Order: sequence, then C-alpha cells, then structure tokens
Amino acid sequence: MGMATSFLPVWIVMFPMVMTLVIFYVEHHSEKMRNALAVATSVVTFLSVLVLYPYIMAGSIIEYNMFQLLPNLGISFRVDILGFSLALLSSFVWMLVTIYSIDYMCKEHGCNRYYPVLIFTLASCMGIFMAGDLFTLFVFFELMSLISYVLVVHEESVEALRAGYKYLIMTIIGGLALFFGIIITFELAGSVSLGGPALITETSSLAFFAFISFLIGFGMKAGMFPLHVWLPDAHPVAPSPASALLSGIMLKTGAYGLLRVIFHVFGLELMQQSGWMVILAAVAIITILLGSAVAITQDDLKRRLAYSSVGQMGYILLGMSIMTERALIGDIFHIFSHALMKSTLFLAAGAIILKTGKRSIRELGGIGRQMPFTMTGFTLAALAMIGIPPFNGFLSKWTLSLGALDAGLPFYVLLLLFSSLLSGLYYLPIIIAAFFGPELGAEHEYVKINEAPYKMLIPIAILAVTSLLFGLLPINLPFDLSRMAAKYLLKGDF
Amino acid sequence: MSAATHLPALVIVVPLFFAYLMPLFARWREGWSTVTALGVLAFSFAGSLVMAWQVMAYGPFSYQMGNWPPPWGIELYIDYLAVFAALTMTGVGLIILVYASKDLPHELKPHLLGWYYTLYLLLMASMVGMALTNDIFNLFVFVEICAIAACGIISIKGSGECLEAAFKYLVLSALGSGCLLLAIALIYMVTGHLNFTFIAQALPEAMRLYPNNILAALALLLVGIGVKAALFPLHVWLPDAHSSAPSPSSAVLSGLVIKIYAVALLRLLYQVFPASLFEVTPVMTILLWMSTLAIVVGSMFAIVQEDIKKMLAYSSVAQIGYVFLGFALLDVSALMGGILHIFNHAMMKAMLFLAAGAFIYSTGVRKLSDLVGIGRTMPIPTIAFTIGAMAMVGIPLTNGFISKWYLVLGAIHGEQPFFAGVILLSSLLNGIYYLPIVVNAFFSEPHGAVAEPKRLPPQMQVPLAVLGFACLLFGVAPSLIMGLVSRASQALFGL
Repeated sequence: MGMATSFLPVWIVMFPMVMTLVIFYVEHHSEKMRNALAVATSVVTFLSVLVLYPYIMAGSIIEYNMFQLLPNLGISFRVDILGFSLALLSSFVWMLVTIYSIDYMCKEHGCNRYYPVLIFTLASCMGIFMAGDLFTLFVFFELMSLISYVLVVHEESVEALRAGYKYLIMTIIGGLALFFGIIITFELAGSVSLGGPALITETSSLAFFAFISFLIGFGMKAGMFPLHVWLPDAHPVAPSPASALLSGIMLKTGAYGLLRVIFHVFGLELMQQSGWMVILAAVAIITILLGSAVAITQDDLKRRLAYSSVGQMGYILLGMSIMTERALIGDIFHIFSHALMKSTLFLAAGAIILKTGKRSIRELGGIGRQMPFTMTGFTLAALAMIGIPPFNGFLSKWTLSLGALDAGLPFYVLLLLFSSLLSGLYYLPIIIAAFFGPELGAEHEYVKINEAPYKMLIPIAILAVTSLLFGLLPINLPFDLSRMAAKYLLKGDF
Repeated sequence: MSAATHLPALVIVVPLFFAYLMPLFARWREGWSTVTALGVLAFSFAGSLVMAWQVMAYGPFSYQMGNWPPPWGIELYIDYLAVFAALTMTGVGLIILVYASKDLPHELKPHLLGWYYTLYLLLMASMVGMALTNDIFNLFVFVEICAIAACGIISIKGSGECLEAAFKYLVLSALGSGCLLLAIALIYMVTGHLNFTFIAQALPEAMRLYPNNILAALALLLVGIGVKAALFPLHVWLPDAHSSAPSPSSAVLSGLVIKIYAVALLRLLYQVFPASLFEVTPVMTILLWMSTLAIVVGSMFAIVQEDIKKMLAYSSVAQIGYVFLGFALLDVSALMGGILHIFNHAMMKAMLFLAAGAFIYSTGVRKLSDLVGIGRTMPIPTIAFTIGAMAMVGIPLTNGFISKWYLVLGAIHGEQPFFAGVILLSSLLNGIYYLPIVVNAFFSEPHGAVAEPKRLPPQMQVPLAVLGFACLLFGVAPSLIMGLVSRASQALFGL
C-alpha cells in the first residue's frame, strides 16, 4: 500500500470541498456547466471510493494523519471495512440524487445555492465515514449538520424556516452533547482515536455521562425517540432530492457514530457488563412503534415517509443493542437497505410532486396509471420496506430476527413482525389507490400528466432495482460487506 | 544601550506621548492624526511581538523605570501573561483603529476626530501598561487613565443616551477605583511594599499578624476590579455603555478593556496573594458562582434584546464569565481556557461589534428584527458576523471551540462537571440568540434601508475580513498562541 493510497481518504473528502468552490465560481457564468460539474464531482467521488475496494478487501486499513490541532487532538482519517461500506453506499446514492436533481431543481429558485451545498454536504459526509478519530468525526458531523440546514430551508417558506429552526436548535444540542462525550473520553483515555483497543475501560459515573451524551448526540441525528421531533418537520419541507439524502444517508451518520462509540469507545465487553444497552433498546422499541404508528395517521406523502424513517431507524438502533453477530449483520445490512429504499421513495415522491403538485395521499388516486414507471419504483421500494420476501428489506429483517433469537430475545421478533404489519398499513393503501383507485377531481379538470423526465426516472429505477437485487442475488455485495463489517467490529478482523 | 532594551517602556510611553499630539496633528493636516495613530499603534504591536519573541526565547525579564531598582522604582515585569495581554490589546486595537478611521467621520463631529485618537491612544497605552507593570500603585494609575479614557470614548458622540451611559460608567467606575485604592492602601499598610514581588514575599507573614486587613483588601479588590470587568452582578453599566458608544469604541470596550482588568485580577490572585489565603476564604468559590451567574444570566438577557449592540453587550457579560470561570476552577487546563478566551473573545466580539457597526453605517438600522435579508446586500459583514456567531457557539474549527475545549476539560479534570454543564448550556443559549440573526440575514428578503445599503469603504471591510480569518486561523491552528498561553498558565501555577 503506497503513499498514494493512504492519501485517498483525504482526496475523497477534499475533492468535493474544492469542487464546491469551483462550482460556486462557475455557476455565475453557466448553469449547464454548474450542473455538469456537480454530477461529475459526485461520480468522481464515488469512483474514488470504489478504488479503495481491493485494499479494503485485502484486509488493510488505510490511515492518514492530516494535522494536529492540539496535542493528541487533530484531523485524521482511517478507513476500515465499516467506514468503507457506508462511504460507498453514500457516494452511490449521492451520485444518483445529484443526477436526479438536474431536472427536479430546474424549476426551483436558488439552484446556485443548492448545488454547492449538496456537494459540500457530500464532502462532510465522506469525512464522517472516513474519520480516524472522534474529533474528526465530530467536526465533519457538525459541518454536515449545519450545512444541510441550507437544504432544509431551501423553500424559504415560513413552514420551512420554522422546521429549520427546530432542526438547528436540535443540531446544536446534539453537537454540544457530542462535545461533552468526546471531552470526557479525552479526559478518561487521553486520546480519542478510533480503531485501537476500547478507549474507556471502566464503568464510572463519568463514563456513563459520556455514553448518555453520545446517545443524545448521535441519537438526535438518527431520529431516536424522544429526539426525533425535528425529523418529521425537516425532511418533508426540503426539496425531494435533499429529503432523499437527509432520510437515506444523513440519518445513517447518527447510527454510524453510535456503532463507533459502542465498539471503539466503550468496547463490547464494557457494554455487556454495564447493561447500558438496555437504555438504547428501550428507546429503540419506542422509536419503532411510535414512528410506524404516527406514519399511518399522516396524509402528506413526504411526512408519512419521514415518520416511516423514524420507525426504520428504530430497527437499526435495536439491532445495535442486541450485540450478537447476526443481529449486527442485519443491522448494518439494514443501513444499506433503508438507504436504498428510502431514497427511492423520496425520489419517486419528488417526481409525483413535481408533475402533479399534489402532496396529499388522498389526492394520489390513479397516479400509477399516469406515471407508471415512477409508481413502479415506488411500489418496489415500498414492498421492500414492508419486508416482503424477495426484497432486501426482508433479508435485513430476517437476519435481525435471527440475531435476536441468538440472543434469546424472541420478543424482538414479534416486534419486528408487528412493525412490518404497520408498515403494510401505511404503504399498501398508497399503492393500491395509485394503481386501482379512482382519479379524484378528474371529472372537473382533466389534466394530462406526463411521466417524469428520464434523468429523474433512471435514478429511481436504479435504486428500486437494487432493492430487489440485493434481496435476491446470491452474490450480494452489501450483504458481504455487512457480514465483514460486523465481524470486524466484534472480533477486530474478518 | 540600544533602544531595544527600553522596549517595555517604549510600547507604553510612545502612545502616551503621541496621544497628546493628536489634536495638533488633526488641526495641522486633515488625516494626519489617523496615520500617526495607526503608526504609533503599529509600533506598540511590533514592540509587543518582539517582546513576545524575547520572552519565548529567553524567558521572562524585568525592566526598571529610570534605572531605579525595586522596591523603590517602578518595575515592569515582562512575563508570558504580560506579553500575551499586550499582544492581544495592541493587535486587536490596531485592527479596530483601521476600521475606526472610516467609521468615525460618520459618527463624530469633525473637530472631535483628533480628540478621539487622543483618547484611543491613552486607552491603549494604559492597557499595555496594566499588562506589563509589576507595581500595584502604577497599576492603579493605569486603571485610572483607562477608566477616564474609556469614559471619554463612550461620551464623545455627545448624544443624551451616550452621556447618560458615560455618567453611569463614570460613577460606578469611580466607585471601583475607590475600592481599588483602599485595597492598595491596606496592602501597603501591612506589607510596606507596592511592588508585586515584594508584596507576595511579605504577605504570608502579614497574613498571620493582620488577617482582617488582608481580607478586607481582597474583598475591596474583588469588587473594584469586578465592577470594571463587568462581572455579574456588577455589570449594570456595561450594556448601556457598550451599546450607545460609537461602534469602534464598543468593539474596543467589549473586546479589550474589560479583559485587561481580568488579567490584572488574575495576576493579583495567583501571584500576589498567598495560596494559603484561599484556604481560609472561599474567594475562588465566590468567583466561580459569580461567573456561573454571569454566563447564564448574561446569555438570558441577550436573548430578549431587540437592539443588535445591546445584545452583543449582554453577550459580553456572559463571555467575561467564561474568563473568570477559567480562573476560578483552579485547574491548569481551565486556566489555559480562561486566558485563551481573553484573546479569542477579543477577536470575536470586536468582529461582531464592527460588523454591527458596518450594518449601522450602511443602513442606519440597529433593530434585530429589521436586519433581515442583510446577508444578501452586505455579504462581507454578514459572513464575518456568521463566523463570530459560530465561534460564540463553539463550533469546531473556530477559535471559540478551542477555549471551550480547555474550559470544559478543566472543569471535568477538576472534578466539577457541573460547570462543564454550565458552559454547554451557555453555548446552547448563544446558539439561540446568535443563529436566528444569521438565518434571517441570509434567508429572508431585505426591505427598506437594508435592501439598498450605502457602500462600505474597504477600510471597514478589510478589518472584518482579517478578524474573520483570524477566528478561523486560531481555530485550526491554535498552537500559534497556545505556546504562550500554556506557559503563562503554568507559570501562574508555579509549574
């Protein structure tokens, strides 16, 4: 492994950052150029992550220390199998979403703000997954959270600004909690670097404070009850491609942070001894039930999707708290599945809103006949969400359930089943009405609704098909990656 | 003897001397006073830099005024804390003065310009003097010069509001000076010395003989300096004074003047009074709670303000609490955080006040609710304001994060995690009152005067850019200043 490889993480993070500036400069001259550069940046970033594949698969861990801020505190990068998997997933979804944005955003205002922010958020997201220490993770986490505020309030409506304010305050609370957790870790361990042996080795009240702080900080981002309050407001008001990223990718950074904290800061042993996981399990169960139950009552399509995200993030949090190998595999695989499914759903919802201007589910009767491709994509992802067999959502729930049984917790399996039933309750009516329902309002004003442009359809199609493929194929890259990542977290090797 | 050996005296005396020439220069040729004042301050800044280099390379040294050895003569003692304070004051002071050169003609009557520079240089000279002196009576003299000059630059606009605020300041500050003088008299009475080093040597013995005198002196000192540094609940004069003064004055008052008193108190508490004193009296505990209240109450008052400069002024009340919290936690890390925050807050708050001044200069608007959309019409001041707001909240990669890091680390290390919680709570409160301004500035449509601002001259834009850059630079590379800060705090702990 040469110097060039160890520099790759820096490149992957810095390249989009630099391109942000370039786009910022170019956009005043040519819109076409701006869009092309944004797409090119996301493609190059994805390919750069892909270059790491052989090295990661060979079991090597890529490390790079950038600079020291204070003694034992600095910006460093470290890519292991878990970070790589999520970076690959994120850059892939990001690439598709950027392509989708071109046609979606062409009628929107403020594109000159949207694209630089989109690319900068990509950079900080990559930084989170490739961080070599808690401090770097924190820096990029804060950057991503603060910058994505601009995406949330993009519409600049009163509603958006109010949701944005909520988001901002929660972000600050989360950031401060993380800061507190990190500083306690630093005080107890003298270092915050990830990947070595567990940093905190003894239970103490300070260590417990740290655990709670991390839980608040990362849980806030992951939409964990009771800190999820910002999510159902912030995700729907953003433009749909941004919602797809917020729900599909950025929520996962919270889950990722928690995984790092559990396995690298505290370590498996301490977690099992202390029994602190009960707290996480309890809030995860509430999160699942609450998210799914509230989603049923929502009439706004994007709000329903947002609440569904809350419920699904509950699965991921629950999977973490079980701490058996299969549960962890299912957990990480669900991060993949949910990212793919939820971005499909949001992108499809975006296409519908763009073409019809309707957001209310009651008005979406017959839409499947008018926009067959979009709704097929939506249907595939929704079925995967419910957990119907050939889809990836089924595979993740199956593995999670096996993991729960390994740990002797059959109650969790029932919970997963029940929540799947709830998912069915809120997804199936949309699909049925879309394909078989009457067209509401059609008798007054019949407007011919066209299918969305192909630059929007292709990303939806690719994402929808992945939901199917990654549940069906025998050679399943995300599943393999999840298996290796879980093994790596538990045993330090794969 | 080369001039370099007299540098410690020169950095004080040169601005003091030129201060009185300023009205003459102003009368002589238009604009000369500006250039001279800038040159004089640049000299002081360069001198402080050289002294900083000397101290870092060869260790602290002392300078005897007129070659009279202490305890009779006045001694300047140039140690890490002294050069740190001198650098902060002259550096930030210089940047503010550049800004003032364009803002003042807008705010003041033309014949007052020269006098303003007189007051400004006097203020600077007295602050550098307070930083360097090792003599308690000399300290008092500088405190008086500083108080009167500060009063002058508040009242110079001559509006009713300014005069009222200046009068309030004058009365309270005179009260503080009185306390200080009494404290000095009490100390002189029991020790027979005015030089810090000699007082420190004589105090343990005097403590045994006259404990009440020393306790009274300590109490008077705390109140005297507390008033001047606007430590809660002695802060009542600050919001009026800092908000009604011309913007460069506000920047220098909030950014620098209240800090230099904190430095003076730090030196007296850690270097002059014996450590055994703190075992019999809970001074540090009192200071700890006063600063906690300052942090929480100051932030809460700031939330409800409508006027941008008043809000910034209340924020200063809270921020000076951080500095004192760092002193009072009795932990090296916390002390480093406190000292570093003097520097960081000087830059942040100066930048915020200058940005507010830029808004007022270009649009005449100072109500927060009317400043919506300003980010679209005045990007540079608003971006500076945003960086300042981020630094106030303590977002990583800004300088505010670094001081917060050390303060919280110190609180946890000193096993007082409650105060770590206080700092976090206050960061949240900072977020609540700073971020909506930033958000409204960028994400709302501008109306009225905000929509068509007057063009901002480059002399006012460049200082904002420089300070904004510095806030980020010292957030990314804090080691530039940490060497000095950590040695200063280690020296105070006798490590």
